[in-house]
Amino acid sequence: MRPRSTWHPWAMLGPTLALLAVFFALPIGVAAYESLFSWDMLTPPRYVGTANYEALAAHGELLRIALRTLGYSVLVVAGTMTLGLGLALLLDRPGRLFAFVRASVFSAYVVSWVAVALLWMWILDGNAGPIAGFMRSLGLAPVSFLGDPGWALPTLAVVGVWKLTGYAMIVFLAGLQGVPRSLLEAAALDGAGPWARFRHVTLPLLAPTASFVATTSLVTSFQAFDVVRIMTQGGPARATELFVYAIYEQIFLNLSVGRASALTVVFFVLLLAVAGLQLRVWRARAGVSR
Amino acid sequence: MLARRDLLRACAAWAALPVAAAGCGHRARPEYRDGRVVVTFWYAYGDLVRKVMLDLVARYNASQSRVFVEAVHQGDYYECLAKLRTALAAGAAPTLSHVVCEVIPYLARAGVLEDLGGYEGARVLPFVPALEQRGTFAESDTDGHAQPLVAIPFNRSTPIAFLNARMLDEAHLAPPRTWDELLDSARTLTRRAANGETRWGFEVPISWWYWVAMVGQAGGRLVEPDGRVSLGDGAGEKALRFWQRLVRDEHVMRPPPGRDYQAWQSSNESFLQGRIAMMWSSTAFVRYLEDNARFPVLAAPLPRDVRASVPTGGTMFVVMRGAPDAEKQAAWDFVRWMCDAEQTITWSTRTGYMPVTLPAVEGLVDRGWYARHPNDRVAYDQLAAADPWPWAPELFRVDRDLVEPRLEEGVLEGADAHALMDAAREEAARPA
Repeated sequence: MRPRSTWHPWAMLGPTLALLAVFFALPIGVAAYESLFSWDMLTPPRYVGTANYEALAAHGELLRIALRTLGYSVLVVAGTMTLGLGLALLLDRPGRLFAFVRASVFSAYVVSWVAVALLWMWILDGNAGPIAGFMRSLGLAPVSFLGDPGWALPTLAVVGVWKLTGYAMIVFLAGLQGVPRSLLEAAALDGAGPWARFRHVTLPLLAPTASFVATTSLVTSFQAFDVVRIMTQGGPARATELFVYAIYEQIFLNLSVGRASALTVVFFVLLLAVAGLQLRVWRARAGVSR
Repeated sequence: MLARRDLLRACAAWAALPVAAAGCGHRARPEYRDGRVVVTFWYAYGDLVRKVMLDLVARYNASQSRVFVEAVHQGDYYECLAKLRTALAAGAAPTLSHVVCEVIPYLARAGVLEDLGGYEGARVLPFVPALEQRGTFAESDTDGHAQPLVAIPFNRSTPIAFLNARMLDEAHLAPPRTWDELLDSARTLTRRAANGETRWGFEVPISWWYWVAMVGQAGGRLVEPDGRVSLGDGAGEKALRFWQRLVRDEHVMRPPPGRDYQAWQSSNESFLQGRIAMMWSSTAFVRYLEDNARFPVLAAPLPRDVRASVPTGGTMFVVMRGAPDAEKQAAWDFVRWMCDAEQTITWSTRTGYMPVTLPAVEGLVDRGWYARHPNDRVAYDQLAAADPWPWAPELFRVDRDLVEPRLEEGVLEGADAHALMDAAREEAARPA
């Protein structure tokens, strides 16, 4: 179909382009500009060139934030997908009991991050929390999950997985409805056991669903803020300082707009790279399947 | 109505962020309600302290018909400060707020604080010397410039030691007076049960404020007379090494989980549950701990190393320069009223913060308050060892960005104290 006039497509795209320009391109541009200045919002900005990037890169802090964020995302995405798929396979059957369990698992997803964080802080409390009590009853010293730099990030990832698993489960359940029963029955008639049916029939047909879950979980995990703000404030010893929280801390707590802007730009580039990689993998797979 | 206006202010602040010009905006017209000048007061408290503050504001509003103080809660100190800075940049700041001491030199340099020196009675209010601006900060900056009067003491505190008197009695120990005695007492009081349960001898949040106390005790200072941020040089490293020894080598101190006030709250809870025998905390918690402990609580001055030293803490009132004159005058009226002996005594006795004026202290002595509450007296007496903060605009950034995370790295991960402090000093020399 050809447009009657060359400007018609642009007119249709115009509102979206305008929104993207104002709310995405412009802020990133402003951040890139401000990253070249030393500015605290109250005194006049001072041009410092790339000093903000150099300061962040010094002592490897920028790299640590990037690796921490990637590590957290990998844990959350892997955990969410594994548990979500496992629960979907377990609960993909009729009956009120299964419906109740499905609703219960999904309910965590609709609860606010703040409520989830507060709940888990109580569960993990080294003094009065149920996990500490359980460990004491076994004669074990309670672990300070949020106070130990080695435990804090995996603990936050567990909370993230707990929150997002319900969502992944629902999407996988929807995906399972699209797997033709006839294919599974045919495989069974050919002698395929449950594992072989899952491995060679269900899993390949769930690939688009898995890709969707991976993408949305990745985006959500990269945006992690509330859970860090409430549970650890980036500590202990910066062990849970993820990108978004680091930006917040630089601008609002450390009074440095320039550093926060530099972090924003690096975060944007990192996200672009990850998104590009994901797209590339997806296209390669699509090519293979054709 | 209130929520809607606050929402609009917040939106204005955010919208103006990318384009906000340097300096703060000015509001030309004062706000009136029922013929009274409205003073918007952004405050940062929770629980008991918030209740006491709101009681006082209500009492002030009922006491006269010219000014109406509208107190708006803004989270903890740091959240309140973050919102205040954003609002200042957007020209939507309140008339009055209260901020931690470390950020006052920065806000003063930014030119957003009203010079209160010319307001009626400002120069003659009978403050406790160590708690007013002149005593809280070095008289001049590192260039020798005297500072204008921009901050009035409000909820002031110092770090003090809280001890479980029952545990100390059982171990026949007196409050430790030196770092060595603290270590010995912590060793004696630490108990490890067979089920892995540990009663810790000592606990203190791994936090800037307590580290600054130890830097002073070890004979150092944060900023040298020539303006160099030294972080106490050897004294700063010694303080961190002492913590490392208590936590990592001797295993007699537990660093509480969480950061900022979350860690403080965790320490308080552990102390009340009898899981720690000695802790350092703020004098602000005297009332809370005494009221909730099932054992006698004993307050004591912090131990010394080569000398006794404590920083002062808490917050001070600041009036925003960009507010309309009528609002600033009204804010001053409220601040002065809060400094009256009766209000100061109410505030101090119901919370645990220190009385900030000499008449209030005399009033408490006359009423026999200190005889009945000797723990309240400890912080006041300890002011003799209070060291002023340097008037350094970079102080707040040094605290939040450069030192605090490194203290955690040193204690929790065992990073080398000298390397950490060297890196902090190097970063302090860079532009923010």
